[in-house]
Amino acid sequence: MRQVARRISTYTADVSGVCSALYELGGMVVMHDPSGCNSTYNTHDEPRWYAMDSLIFISGLAEIDAIMGNDDKLIDDVVTAAKQLSPQFVALARTPIPMLNGTDFDAIASVIERKAGIPVFYFPTNGTHSYVYGVGMALEKIADYYTGDGCEEQSDCDADGIRVNLLGVTPLDFSVTGTVESMKELLKEEGFALVSCMAMGSSLEEISQAGWADVNLVVSSVGLPAARLLQKKFGTPYVVGTPVGRFVNQIATDLRTAADTGKSIISCNARPDSVDSKIALIGESVLSGSMAAAISQVHGKAVKVICPLEAEEGLFVPGDVRASEEEELEKILKDMSVIIADPMYRPICPEDAAFYELPHEAFSGRIYRRKIPDFVKILQ
Amino acid sequence: MIKIAVYGKGGIGKSTTVSNLAAAFAEKGFTVMQIGCDPKADSTVSLLHGESMTTVLELVRSRKNDFTLEDMVKVGYQGVLCVEAGGPSPGMGCAGRGIIAALDKLKEKGAYDIYQPDVVIYDVLGDVVCGGFSMPMRGGYADKVLIITSGENMAIHAAANIAMAVENFKDRGYATLGGLILNRRNVKREEEKVQELAEDVHSTVIGSLNHSELVLDAEEMHKTVLEAFSDSEMAEEYRFLASQVAEICGLEW
Repeated sequence: MRQVARRISTYTADVSGVCSALYELGGMVVMHDPSGCNSTYNTHDEPRWYAMDSLIFISGLAEIDAIMGNDDKLIDDVVTAAKQLSPQFVALARTPIPMLNGTDFDAIASVIERKAGIPVFYFPTNGTHSYVYGVGMALEKIADYYTGDGCEEQSDCDADGIRVNLLGVTPLDFSVTGTVESMKELLKEEGFALVSCMAMGSSLEEISQAGWADVNLVVSSVGLPAARLLQKKFGTPYVVGTPVGRFVNQIATDLRTAADTGKSIISCNARPDSVDSKIALIGESVLSGSMAAAISQVHGKAVKVICPLEAEEGLFVPGDVRASEEEELEKILKDMSVIIADPMYRPICPEDAAFYELPHEAFSGRIYRRKIPDFVKILQ
Repeated sequence: MIKIAVYGKGGIGKSTTVSNLAAAFAEKGFTVMQIGCDPKADSTVSLLHGESMTTVLELVRSRKNDFTLEDMVKVGYQGVLCVEAGGPSPGMGCAGRGIIAALDKLKEKGAYDIYQPDVVIYDVLGDVVCGGFSMPMRGGYADKVLIITSGENMAIHAAANIAMAVENFKDRGYATLGGLILNRRNVKREEEKVQELAEDVHSTVIGSLNHSELVLDAEEMHKTVLEAFSDSEMAEEYRFLASQVAEICGLEW
């Protein structure tokens, strides 16, 4: 049966991706939906929900309002809430029902912007894409809107060492189990200066300085649209790779090279071809490629990355596979002897293969969170 | 590039008028694109000599995204670029959502960037019955809405509804009302009633067309009046109307 997940989970959708990317930035995110997208997000996709406040709303789109085209209810509710809560911005995320209705969000956003007097961003999510798409466009929008031509106060941007932005940081890839803090610490130890982290632990003010970075580090494919935007706007090169275990040395070297030459580097494909490999690693392209590189450095074995999410060809090596459908994945996995994947992939893995659990928040939510490693500290 | 959306009661003569206007603009040397926004997909029939064409939605249904811009466009009389949005079978699906999908697809395939038409005319189904039929007047599509009406009460009622829809959207950055076109049916007090409507909706009658048997004769021939009876007074009326439309849209005639 095609396009059906019968025994495995599915990845966090684009709507939650937008919410996750913007969670810490002081904005007000509104999912325009009857209700459902909100509980999926706060129950399964957002580990910060109970630990950190954020203005995340569901519009409560009613059947009669959808039928009657009563967009004014959404507009009035958002404007009223925005005036009471004074968020930095409003983000409107589309969901399947307004997508099917053809709701004109561009017009709604411009009306709200005029009435509320704050920036309003519209994200054309529809629930059928993965978080990679949603986070990607949200970070790109923030990077575009809040970075000017550069900071006026040069002293604010002066720092010892090469200045770096971390791009593509959300709990959906890294959870809240230490990786984000470790990545920041590592950069410091290696002599880099962190300008901003998009988008965990950085304010909009810090993000507005992002144009001053010498190089950007894209730690998940969700950061690529923002990296390209910053390259276009400021000429900043980027390095694509996650600092996983022993692979951090490669990342540090590539960051220095990219900052020096101005040329971007895809680090996560600096690893052996995986054509004949029987070791499979399932996950997001950049983190998985980086982990495969670390495994290869530590154990001398090539690893086949299987990516079920949106990803670009250039992030892979020959032998890697992009496959998202359960049947297709099962067929590929039956030839593998070692499988590293989220535990919810186990039902489609061959019984005689050695299975190593690598939980992914965007696939299994909180269920296995305590087993999600600090990626910087493994595979030393 | 000027972009116009033409609305009006069903059967009032929108497609006939739009096709003749398109031919008049094209005769003058402008590159014209006429986009039929009606599931019946018959807006451009007189420019195409009665030939049917594959609609945008039929292409999407049968080939998903595996088709080109050229597959959606057929060149008609005087080089007018003809497009039909299409839609579901009567009584099925959602025609309004179809218009949104078709116009999105046309934009996605680069219709406006690649052909760079001087004049785009959206010929829209009868009334603004749902959000989909307001798509041609949304931001990024038409700049001006023209409403065709006669002096018949139902036509005036429909025209008033359309004008109200345009008014309702004024804070959304949508197209503005360019004016009314009187297509005479020779009913009593026709001029006066349409003039009253124009005042009620704070607009003007930008042009008028006389009732002429030549229009039906040309239609029988599957041609525009400008092609079938090029030297007729009716053809001249369409040419003059085109010049008035150009003027309100800021296009040098």
